[in-house]
Amino acid sequence: MKLERTETFGPALRAEPEFREPSPEELDVTVVVLLETGRLDAQAICREYEPPLRKLGLTYEFLFVNGSGEAGLGEAMRESIHERGSVRLLEAGQAVGESTVLRLSVEHSRGRIILTLPPTLRVAPEALPEMIRRIEEGSDVAVARRWPRRGSWVNRVQAEVATWLLNLLTGSRFHDMTCRVSAIRRSVLAEIPLYGSHFRFLPVIAQREGFRVIEVPVEPHPEGGHTRVYRPGVYLGWVIDILGIFFLLRFTYRPLRFFGSLGALFGLMGGGILVVLVIQRFFGGQDLADRPMLLLGVLLVTLGIQAVALGLIGEIVVHFQASRGSTYRLHRSR
Amino acid sequence: MSTVSVVVPLFNEAPNVPPLIDAVRSALPGIDWELLLVDDGSRDGTAELADEYASSDERVQVLHLARNFGQTAAMKAGFDHARGDIVVSMDGDLQNDPADIPRLIEELRRGYDLVTGYRENRQDKVLTRLIPSWIANRLIRRITGVQIRDTGCSLRAYRLQVLRSMVLYSDMHRFIPAIAVATSGARISEIPVRHHPRRHGSSKYGLSRTWRVLLDLLTIAMIRSFRDRPLRMFGLASIMIGECGLLFVIAASLAGSTMPASDNPVVFTSTAVVLFGLATYLFMLGLVGEVLVRQYWRPREADLHLPMARERSW
Repeated sequence: MKLERTETFGPALRAEPEFREPSPEELDVTVVVLLETGRLDAQAICREYEPPLRKLGLTYEFLFVNGSGEAGLGEAMRESIHERGSVRLLEAGQAVGESTVLRLSVEHSRGRIILTLPPTLRVAPEALPEMIRRIEEGSDVAVARRWPRRGSWVNRVQAEVATWLLNLLTGSRFHDMTCRVSAIRRSVLAEIPLYGSHFRFLPVIAQREGFRVIEVPVEPHPEGGHTRVYRPGVYLGWVIDILGIFFLLRFTYRPLRFFGSLGALFGLMGGGILVVLVIQRFFGGQDLADRPMLLLGVLLVTLGIQAVALGLIGEIVVHFQASRGSTYRLHRSR
Repeated sequence: MSTVSVVVPLFNEAPNVPPLIDAVRSALPGIDWELLLVDDGSRDGTAELADEYASSDERVQVLHLARNFGQTAAMKAGFDHARGDIVVSMDGDLQNDPADIPRLIEELRRGYDLVTGYRENRQDKVLTRLIPSWIANRLIRRITGVQIRDTGCSLRAYRLQVLRSMVLYSDMHRFIPAIAVATSGARISEIPVRHHPRRHGSSKYGLSRTWRVLLDLLTIAMIRSFRDRPLRMFGLASIMIGECGLLFVIAASLAGSTMPASDNPVVFTSTAVVLFGLATYLFMLGLVGEVLVRQYWRPREADLHLPMARERSW
């Protein structure tokens, strides 16, 4: 998936210091960090996470992405960035999501391994070498699992519930879906179509695409773990995202399996009500005209028919699209 | 001399791999063949065993799917990588007999595009396999309009062109003959093949798939009749439901005239409104369908080669 840069960003895309087309596979590791307002700045992140990388003896770079669309966020750290050669800043001309940042980083990073870090202190610095090692050993994606968990129980509970729901619906077996510190082979990231809020589910999607995904237990950062409570809308958004990915993973190529089952369920409930009413009308002598149950029955049947109809529309789309692109993936290494 | 590609999807069939390869070897004397084993993410060492055999015989090739993608995807992978101008598919459980392949090819050369086997004396459990399969076959024949006795037999021979133009996705491997007719305009023949009881491993099928197969059949029926005119389907449904709404309007006015004014027939009226709403919705959905088809529609192989198809069906 190649991103048309002009289309998404226009000429406002700038990379500092002077941007040049990176030749791929030039370095070992690129650390990609999406900067956010009110979170850690580039300097703090470098200070924290650079030493273990330096010790590792691999070549690396930091790629900070200002995806907020605010010029100030990048301006503020330009100075600190110029001090180091291995740090680059990518500024998007408009607000972009984390999925877009991940896809951008495929294009703009030079490392063959991409390490994604949130602009907060989630994992201990020593975790990074460990995750890189797992990729070197042959995994395609290594996701961090903070273990043993410390810090606020509020954070823990919300993370646990989100992860539990995701595992329940997608059948995956991950333990820490809110950490989002991960190491990914760049070539693999290039093959995973990420958009919208799918960045949250990167390991699940990668696994479903047939890549080797491994969970690495790592120490949580000693200074991290401040209690974070979001607006209720944020949690609602999580649930909706999880429901969405559940549907997409299981039913993208077979929408009627989903809508047909749903429709059958509603239809049977409504049909059952109608049958009872008709029996009562003709054998029990009860009038039909003054029974609101009739309305409920008809509504349920209606809902059922609507669901099936939507499923059929979906199948038309899938039928025409299925001949393009393949529905399987072969093992990379063999 | 043409090449024959034998495609075998394998899922946890390790004990069957060596006898399968031996059987294929001895079944095709004097024919230039290749065997494509497609490992569908097995966890019992099937892949390693197959690799071992492939390394000692260059006619044997192994494709490794990155995870368990299902039988349809595995067959598709095999078809995509087949190099022969005749392709044969069969199950990896040795219930099919590779010795039947030459007869399939012979039949194919008589001018067919797809020759499928039907199992005489099926060696399966009566209650859980034979009876459901009998019902399924009748239903599939009825819905797809393709008259073959045994849709469940995956020992088949195809011309490569047919496979290249066939649209295969989801779990559609069950309906390959029907799809081949619908999307490629294939000419089909059926010949009896041998069927052996399973010697190693366990069956991957069960009754649980019934509901899914029914939904898939609904899809096939819809695609077959309405793929290029969805408004017909949705429009018809819309009109039928609108008529039901009309019935309730009549019932409401009848009830209104016979009942005392205090008992307004509000239930009938609301029901009619709901049904009219549904009718409108379905019609609009049909319009959306038309837009989609306009975006996506491409001629099928069958449409492109109509003269050829007519010529062949003497």
